[in-house]
Amino acid sequence: MKSVPKLIRRFVGIMLLSSILLIILNFILLAVYTVSQAPNAYPWKTAEEVADNLLQNENGYSLSEDASLELKNSNAWAIFIDNKTMQVVWQTTNLPETIPMSYSVSDIASLTRGYIDGYPTFTGEAENGLVVLGYPKDSFWKHMWPSWDYNLIANLPKTVLFALAVNTALIFIIYLFANSKLLISVKPIVSGIQALSTNEAVHIREKGLLSELAVNINKTSDILQTQNRQLRKKETARANWIAGVSHDIRTPLSMVMGYAGQLENDKRLPEDDRQKAMVIVKQSKRMRNLINDLNLASKLEYNMQPINPKKENMVAIVRQIVVDFINMDIDDKHPIEWNTDETLTVCSVNADKELIRRAVSNLIQNSINHNEQGCKIYVNITAENDKCTVTVADDGVGTTDEQIERLNNSPHYMVCDENTSEQRHGLGLLIVKQIVAAHGGITGIGHSSYGGFSVKLIFPVTYADK
Amino acid sequence: MNFDYLRQKRFLLVDDEQELLDMVVSILNEDGFQNIQTAKTVKEAIAISETWHPEIAILDVMLPDGSGFNLMEKLKSTSDYPVLFLTARGEDEDKFRGFGLGADDYMVKPFLPKELLFRVNAILRRSYKDENPLVKLQNSEIDFDRAEIIKNGEHIPLTAKEYDILAALYRNAGRIVTIDALCEAAWGDNPFGYENSLMAHIRRIREKIETNPSHPVSLITIKGLGYKLIVEGK
Repeated sequence: MKSVPKLIRRFVGIMLLSSILLIILNFILLAVYTVSQAPNAYPWKTAEEVADNLLQNENGYSLSEDASLELKNSNAWAIFIDNKTMQVVWQTTNLPETIPMSYSVSDIASLTRGYIDGYPTFTGEAENGLVVLGYPKDSFWKHMWPSWDYNLIANLPKTVLFALAVNTALIFIIYLFANSKLLISVKPIVSGIQALSTNEAVHIREKGLLSELAVNINKTSDILQTQNRQLRKKETARANWIAGVSHDIRTPLSMVMGYAGQLENDKRLPEDDRQKAMVIVKQSKRMRNLINDLNLASKLEYNMQPINPKKENMVAIVRQIVVDFINMDIDDKHPIEWNTDETLTVCSVNADKELIRRAVSNLIQNSINHNEQGCKIYVNITAENDKCTVTVADDGVGTTDEQIERLNNSPHYMVCDENTSEQRHGLGLLIVKQIVAAHGGITGIGHSSYGGFSVKLIFPVTYADK
Repeated sequence: MNFDYLRQKRFLLVDDEQELLDMVVSILNEDGFQNIQTAKTVKEAIAISETWHPEIAILDVMLPDGSGFNLMEKLKSTSDYPVLFLTARGEDEDKFRGFGLGADDYMVKPFLPKELLFRVNAILRRSYKDENPLVKLQNSEIDFDRAEIIKNGEHIPLTAKEYDILAALYRNAGRIVTIDALCEAAWGDNPFGYENSLMAHIRRIREKIETNPSHPVSLITIKGLGYKLIVEGK
């Protein structure tokens, strides 16, 4: 849910940036326009120029050529009012008839501020009087009243900044108000999508600005849930099927095993026949192991095997397995040596005892199965650095580096969807790996220092002993 | 034979497959058990139990007219004798259910004759050890009923712990019993740190049962793993 605040931050950032940019742009435009308007002062300037260029001679007054031309171009007329007489003593030829020829002081004040008969007028001070220029009607709009409080102008920079801040805040509030609805409707959608990614069932309210998106998310969730259910159903069906088959094989195999076992030990039978019975017993045992493994492997693979971890003493569990093998072993071809330090009596691991039994039994059985001619099996437990390591090794035929690499790293055919004709090794090691992984441990397959095969199971120790 | 009195025990076998019943009967017969009755349904089994009073039952879990677990409850309600389950259902759940209801052991099919016989003998020895007149060892005899050892005509009493340890060894006579299992038999669950006490008790038991405790012939040490009790006539 970190993305919503991030989204808001981004929105606000863009908004602030755009308002500031807009204000700066406006200032620039205003400045450019004001500068371009600056020549507007020209009527006053022209009036000054005319006043400067109005020369007194013996015939009265005359205007220089340049000034006359400028007046002509701007279609303006001019008069010169004498200071003493307040009479017009000079005028241009284009003076409209309605313009009075004598002025009072109040007339002067009025024409300075405004107009004479609608003609905007501008004044220029000459030596003995006042030059008045009259521009065509409606050519200028004169405003001569503005005046400001002194403090206002003095505090102008502060005032501008304050206004700017108020404006920004105002824009922000307007923005928040306008977008809060959007943000509110985005929030459930974001959480919905996040829930979808964790495979949860999602149902969000299909209301608000983004209701259409909400509908689609709900639909997607429904589809995902349906697919999950179907997948689960398929996996359950497959695991059940395997359980069913293994169950149905057990009873007939009991009969094969039971009678073969009797024949194997029947002293009345010739040695040859007893040997044959022994082979049947051996193969039946293989089938029995396969059935057990197949069932457990499929259950572990589809997470259908309940794991009930308890604080267990790994030394006791493994010791019991070794003793069970020794107690059951009829031939002396596969002696098991208990190689554990006698001072190590307890190694506590949070484990499902039955599953650990299966894993370690599988390893010992593996050594027996792969060494028909016989081998010595070494079982050892060490406890170091909060790790409990169970090692099952033998001095048998072992295997190649290549095969070890493959056992350690390639997926088993049961859990691999590629063509797998090449890697048909038994289920024994797969189960070992699955069980160890379910306990948070590591399985290491390698060469044994005794010359054969070796498997290390490394489990995390629950807590310090004693 | 020392175990003869166990061979006289009355067996009730219940399984819906005739061929399996025949096979189990033949396995038991071969080991010397003769008093065996078979049933294929819950109804038959109850009828036999009421009239014939079996002393041990071997039951299948799935029967045509009910489950073996229910049958066991009914059988045990009339008379308390040991029950061994024999089933094709290997799921742990069933296992716990079976033991939870008071089953004495549980075997998943398929099985070898010697595996079945070992379990049956262990259950019988555990359940009827007090009836055993005397357990013969090479140099002495154990009287579990009186909790004493008879050596050279001398009666030596066993302490409670020594009795528990010897009983656990006797149940598995001829097989190794782990140090951990012996500690559990004597001191209960999670018997951590009793290994040295166990060694002391074993030494004292040897002094009672062996002629030369430094060179034991009946109570053998299997280094690092456990101990084995050798019983005569086994």
